[in-house]
Amino acid sequence: MDFIEILQSQWAVRALLASSMVGIMCGVLGCFIVLRNMSLIGDALSHAILPGVVFGFMIAGYSVLGFFVGSVIAGLLAAFAITWIQQNVKTKNDAAIGIVFTAMFSVGVMAISHLSRTEGVHLDLKDFLFGNVLGVSNDDLYLTAGIGVYVLVSIVVFYRYLFATTFQPVIAETMGISVKTVHYFLMLLLSFVVVASLRTVGVILVVAMLITPAATALLLTNRLQRVLVYAGFIGFFSAASGLILAIIWDTTPGPAMTVVATIIYVLAMLFSPEKGLVFKYFRNRKMKEKILIEDILKQTLRLSERGVVTVEKLSDKLGFSTAAIRGKLPNLKRKGLIIIHNKTLQLTEEGKNQATRLVRAHRLWETYLVEKMGLTAEQIHEDAEKYEHILTDEILDEMEEKLGFPALDPHGSPIPKRSKNANFTLSKLVLNQLAKIEGHQINDHVTTRIWELGLLPESEFKVATIEANYIEIQIGENLIKIPMDLSRKIAVLV
Amino acid sequence: MISIKGLSVSYDRKVVLSNVYLEIAEGSLCGILGPNGAGKSTLFKAILGLTPTNSGKISVNEKPIEKCRKEVVYLPQKGEIDWQFPATVLDVVLMGRYPHLKLLQQLSKKDKEMTAAALQDMGIEHLAKRQIGELSGGQQQRVFLARAICQEADVFLLDEPFVGVDITTEEKIVEILKKLAAQGKTMLVVHHDLSKVEEFFDTVVLLNQRIIASGETKMTFTDENINKAYGGQLTILHRTEET
Repeated sequence: MDFIEILQSQWAVRALLASSMVGIMCGVLGCFIVLRNMSLIGDALSHAILPGVVFGFMIAGYSVLGFFVGSVIAGLLAAFAITWIQQNVKTKNDAAIGIVFTAMFSVGVMAISHLSRTEGVHLDLKDFLFGNVLGVSNDDLYLTAGIGVYVLVSIVVFYRYLFATTFQPVIAETMGISVKTVHYFLMLLLSFVVVASLRTVGVILVVAMLITPAATALLLTNRLQRVLVYAGFIGFFSAASGLILAIIWDTTPGPAMTVVATIIYVLAMLFSPEKGLVFKYFRNRKMKEKILIEDILKQTLRLSERGVVTVEKLSDKLGFSTAAIRGKLPNLKRKGLIIIHNKTLQLTEEGKNQATRLVRAHRLWETYLVEKMGLTAEQIHEDAEKYEHILTDEILDEMEEKLGFPALDPHGSPIPKRSKNANFTLSKLVLNQLAKIEGHQINDHVTTRIWELGLLPESEFKVATIEANYIEIQIGENLIKIPMDLSRKIAVLV
Repeated sequence: MISIKGLSVSYDRKVVLSNVYLEIAEGSLCGILGPNGAGKSTLFKAILGLTPTNSGKISVNEKPIEKCRKEVVYLPQKGEIDWQFPATVLDVVLMGRYPHLKLLQQLSKKDKEMTAAALQDMGIEHLAKRQIGELSGGQQQRVFLARAICQEADVFLLDEPFVGVDITTEEKIVEILKKLAAQGKTMLVVHHDLSKVEEFFDTVVLLNQRIIASGETKMTFTDENINKAYGGQLTILHRTEET
């Protein structure tokens, strides 16, 4: 059967519609289940509705409504029982879930076999376990659509309650939101979705449709609203394409949907831009490369103080093969950091700056460890070798300030300054001195505050007044008061 | 204003708070001090009605807490927050408006303007779309303080707001707390670092399962009272911090 034929047969279209709707609602609702660490509850609820289905049948016969009502009652009963045990009995949370759902499932199985033996009724346990999406009736379809609309509208309307109680239940409670009510409302929605999914995927695999698309979406984005949309879409795609593949290959639909969803999950796990393993691997490799390049610069600076620098000498110092180091040289040359002349390496002006920056990071970190962490001078070198590659200029400036602008590191070596004018702050100016606001400030916060005061980078000014708690500067005709604590952070050029 | 009369709390027969009487007036900026396990966080949970009590009567603005949830805002310890959660700075701060909404009411333009103003106040408006785990410790605390401000409460319960924040943020938080107290709000702050108590708070409560002392900082925050609260274990630490 090919795709066109599928769209021409009514049963297949009904199956496709039902699966798509189930995929969407499972995906969206599943996000909250996953974020609340309730994956196991999803599994439990789906098994626990079996007795509901059976009793629904005993009372109302083959009626979609009978199955529905029976299942929802059983689902809620399970949710209440689990929560009650968790709160009142000293049984571990997951054990409570296991006890309740296996017990209810067993009662359901016993009831089915009793019915089929005594009254000759045949309820197929296999349909219940794995679904029978190809047997979806019009009534089933209406029920699924109704549930789908109800669930999605509820999530949109009560979004803020779901968000608040999932993110910070305690805070939600202090805001007057009843966490318990929201919990049971979610359980009600979950029972609905499970009942709607029975026909398509069956109880064993409902949990896959709830969890896998949601977990995938959580790997792809950091915004809850997007997570919900992505999960709905992934759920839809897995269910619809799983069904079509199952019809074409003549296999069972539920498992096919699950396999598609899992494949998407694996792809996201590998290739997600932020959290994917492949990108993590490349990031790590890039970091290692950066460290080697920086080490070459630093060693070249150090060795050049004692004569010519060759690749062999570097290899000796760094413990990398000469080939590995040679491999990086073109890169360094291209960036204009080194010049190679007669097989010896020389740093350019920019190369020297970068190497000096590393020395500064290394020595500042060592000083910080000794001064603020109480380590001794012998313990710190290894650590600084690692951190010199990671620390940003911003952090370094802040550390330097906290350390009181030290001149020497714990080993007695001088700590290089950031640049010629670096660390010259507004607070260090004297009366009537002329200066310029530096374009690059220590952090965004300072930049913002300067901007709020109406100071622009590069603007020239004169110090007009110096008081205990503020400095007043003059720009053109304007006088601007700057609080003393802020003036200690504003970098200036003289 | 908070009034606590004869509050006792115990967990599994272990006494955490015993017979606590306390009145915190409007407009006070009050530090709650005491060693680990002294019941500081439990006191907050009891005021918020989040923990069962053995005995005692607690009222906020002369009402039981259930009647005035809107008027009380709680800032939990940083460790109690899931920083991986897919929530942005804006999502979190908007939560501050939730208590003011009716069941089906959605956020209004006014709510959003108020949120934007609070973000600006805290100097984090440029971070509005960041996920909360991507911020520094100081920025994270600013986010939750911005939310607390948006809630427009009368009573603030802040659990260790200065832990893990940079100096600039610490100054900012103190500035905001003092401003709110001056507006007549009741500010309660659980605090750890004894060295800055005089600088931060106008009144203090020394707690260790029971009230050791409470009142104006100058009169109450004495070596003798600190000794009593910390059982002598901390005096050395306290002195080294001062030198």
